[in-house]
Amino acid sequence: MLDCRVQKTRRTYEVAVDILAGGERVALFGPSGSGKSTILSCLAGLEVPDAGHIRCDHETWFPPSLALHHRSVGYLRQREPLFPHLPVSENVQFSLDAATRVQERDWIAEIRSRLDLDALWHARPPHLSGGQARRVALARTLCRRPRLVLLDEPFAGLDRPLARELARILKDWQERLGFVLLAVDHDPLVLEGLCPRVIAMEEGRRVQEGSWAELRQRPATPTLRALLDLDP
Amino acid sequence: MPKDLPRTLALSLTALFLLYPLWGLASPVGHWQWDASGLSSALATSFGLTGVALAIVVAVGTPLAFSLRGATRSTRIAFEAVVLLSVLMPPLALGLLLALAFGPATALGGLLLHLGIPTSNNPTAFVVTQIYASLGYYLLGAQAAFEAVPRELEQSAALLGLAPREVLWRITLPLARLGLAAALSLAWVRALGEFGAIMVTAYYPHGIPVQLWVDLQDQGLPAVLPLLIVFLLTALPLPWALRLLVGTRGYA
Repeated sequence: MLDCRVQKTRRTYEVAVDILAGGERVALFGPSGSGKSTILSCLAGLEVPDAGHIRCDHETWFPPSLALHHRSVGYLRQREPLFPHLPVSENVQFSLDAATRVQERDWIAEIRSRLDLDALWHARPPHLSGGQARRVALARTLCRRPRLVLLDEPFAGLDRPLARELARILKDWQERLGFVLLAVDHDPLVLEGLCPRVIAMEEGRRVQEGSWAELRQRPATPTLRALLDLDP
Repeated sequence: MPKDLPRTLALSLTALFLLYPLWGLASPVGHWQWDASGLSSALATSFGLTGVALAIVVAVGTPLAFSLRGATRSTRIAFEAVVLLSVLMPPLALGLLLALAFGPATALGGLLLHLGIPTSNNPTAFVVTQIYASLGYYLLGAQAAFEAVPRELEQSAALLGLAPREVLWRITLPLARLGLAAALSLAWVRALGEFGAIMVTAYYPHGIPVQLWVDLQDQGLPAVLPLLIVFLLTALPLPWALRLLVGTRGYA
């Protein structure tokens, strides 16, 4: 369960959004610069909100700001870098100590198999293609079973079939493991396949919330209408 | 023309240029003289005390260089100016200043003498002088090595649940290792070869550079050339091996 109110002043406006989400997948949708990534960054602990609160499964992350390594969060950023000095196997299991690796053997095997990492397992990141690196980054993010998963343009630069496949895998795992998933993108097609619920944002504010069907039927603003590619 | 011919030519010419002075070893200077006891004593002094000095330089310099990343810009600029000052100081001038600043007439020198620590012509003076001569080189190299590690990678590691100490150990240090090795090599070479400052502050015990000078004065070139060969053969392996050990996949 994620219960948060994030307030953060940006150069031209203030981001102020409430989110209440159980074990579900929620999309933050809006034009570039609407504050979506700021919210993810505050939830992950990379930035500290000016005000508000962040609670995840009854654990308070803010205020006071909990150090990011104490938050059970998986944050897949737009250009998530892999650790270049470690092979794929070590990148994926990076967050697990030796004992946990043994306990989680089945889970690691499942990640490895579903994300098609077998052939890459001993490769070094500099030798991976963009799509392969993205799969490894996703595996690394989910390997320690975080309670909150944040995806910032998770499929940017990937071809549509691979993006669809990754979205399907993410959906399966989220439903089985029950973590909260927040995904950010400005492409509705990407988000629609992944998240049934959407929070639409503009200039740091929530302008609409509901299902994608509701958003398409009655977009609250002309900008949303344009982003959804609907006729005026 | 083969694709790598220009590079091969450039490398060969540079290597030739750098190695050419060694041709001097073949000069007809007379029968070489080996002073085994003087040689072993100078080697022990140089390598033993340089090892101690470098251990201190690394122990102090590494955390300091790392902490500079978090310092404000103005702090960094001011500190770098101080470090550069120590690096730019001509060795002889450094020796003279050290002798004056730690002399028995100064408060610090007087205190140390009172505590039974003479500030010249002993192993302590030797080590302290080497630290002054090499710390700046190590700091500048180590700082550059740490700066070259992308912060995003450290953030990713922290987001995966690693405490700052683990991030340092598993991400920062492995990625900075090549730069740190280069900094250590430079500091080693600088400390081991130090002559001008050591000459003033720690003429005794004789390290290799001072021994070379003494032999030149007393016995001439036939005594200097064999010592020089031994010096080069013993000083080269550490920095060379260090570079080989850390591999070429470093990021700094």
